[in-house]
Amino acid sequence: MIGETLRLKVAAVADIAPGLRHVRLVAADGGKLPPAAAGAHVQLVLAGATRTHRNAYSLVSRPGARDAWEIIVRRVPTSRGGSAYVHESLQAGDVLEAGWPGNLFAPVRTARRQLMIAGGIGITPFLSYLAEFAFSGVEHALHVCCRESERHAFDPWLADRPHVAWHWDADGHRLDIPALLAAQPMGTHLYVCGPAAMNDEVLAAAAAAGWPDTHVHCEHFGSALSGGEAFRAFLARSGIEVDVAEDESLLDAIERVGVKAPCLCRGGACGVCVTPLLEGEAEHRDHVLSAEERAAGRLIMPCVSRARAGRLVLDL
Amino acid sequence: MMHSDIKSRPVYQALAPDLAGSRHLLVVEGETLVAGRLDELAGLFAPVQATLHTWLAGAATPVAGLGRLWQLESAADVVDALACASRGYGVGDRLYVQGTEPFLWSVATAAAVVGFGEKQLRLHHAGSLRRRVWCTHCHGMTEGVTTSIVACGGCGRHLLVRDHFSRRLGAFMGVMVDAEAPGEVPAIEEVFA
Repeated sequence: MIGETLRLKVAAVADIAPGLRHVRLVAADGGKLPPAAAGAHVQLVLAGATRTHRNAYSLVSRPGARDAWEIIVRRVPTSRGGSAYVHESLQAGDVLEAGWPGNLFAPVRTARRQLMIAGGIGITPFLSYLAEFAFSGVEHALHVCCRESERHAFDPWLADRPHVAWHWDADGHRLDIPALLAAQPMGTHLYVCGPAAMNDEVLAAAAAAGWPDTHVHCEHFGSALSGGEAFRAFLARSGIEVDVAEDESLLDAIERVGVKAPCLCRGGACGVCVTPLLEGEAEHRDHVLSAEERAAGRLIMPCVSRARAGRLVLDL
Repeated sequence: MMHSDIKSRPVYQALAPDLAGSRHLLVVEGETLVAGRLDELAGLFAPVQATLHTWLAGAATPVAGLGRLWQLESAADVVDALACASRGYGVGDRLYVQGTEPFLWSVATAAAVVGFGEKQLRLHHAGSLRRRVWCTHCHGMTEGVTTSIVACGGCGRHLLVRDHFSRRLGAFMGVMVDAEAPGEVPAIEEVFA
């Protein structure tokens, strides 16, 4: 289904906290939406003032819901423009183009216990997890690290959800990650979604505590990673030279000049957009390529990675 | 008989402690211990001795250097002990098993039930090649099979013992050998001694 698009109508927008906007989407034709499971995301095409943004957002609606999808978008000051567009321009009644839902962060259903750690807006995939776990009855716990002022923004999704603990940056309220991981019983799976520094800290703590990587799952935010120095890329098969702006990803630039490139997560996590790199040195920011593949320098994930210096030549 | 073109046939590893683990449980089937093997294991696991538990199943003379030591009688006791002790184990822990295949898989399937993941587990084959065989007809298990064809302990059919292996059941598949021509059973050979 990658490549096919859906048309969604904005049914409602609401600010649930400063900088946090909730958007409810329905099928533009009044029909049913495809079902999506816990952890799924949807890619929205957001027509900004200067260019088109394609951003992936976790669905916070009930898993399997077909009447409406819900997302929560944080306004990011350094955003590529997608979150600014949602906060400034998006209105009820607008029709958006969207991809089919994808899921790169589904819970492991054979787990005996599900342990979730969220940083800030990284809580969004876990809102759908909680709905599933409440239904399936699996033992679970969610630890949210956020600003104290945002503690109650997610209350509408957390009513009757007893296994949620809140942590913020004040003495007595910080999350002791090593202590939490050391106390987990056999068969626990760990999920983490937050800013890169927090993800890295949790992954390192899990490795230090001997957690096998099969039991540790991480979803990275893509959007904050895609900017950098402007550079130029040459698409060898299409014969097109592309200028990639500071606030634009290579993938966005490729799409802007009308070249179709397959993609799914737009965050360097899924590997769908992998493209042969013919010339140039890449700054790899994805979570897919192995150390060997990076060293070989023959592949690039254009959704997040950029040129280290000079020009890139892609087989596209 | 430890190698097969059948992909489901398990491949076993030499034992060595995974230093990333937080606590280590070593389970050894006594009958598979050749002279000096326990000393060798004590040497291999010396780096994790402080967090090592060793369970010896069946006759074995313990040696020093195996951490906290338990002596148990059989695979069934190991399975029971694992179920009872499982609350005390965590995601960072590791389980190492040495034994015959029925022993390895009795422990491995019990460990999976209490929540050990595949990467927390290392299996090392030693001793007899005897097999546990699962009948595809009556679903009964026949233990201690050393021959190429065996009479099913459940339904009595003559089963050809295949290399197809089920990790869930911890057993090899046995299929009726004379289904096409009843009574025509090929020569039975001792191949899993």
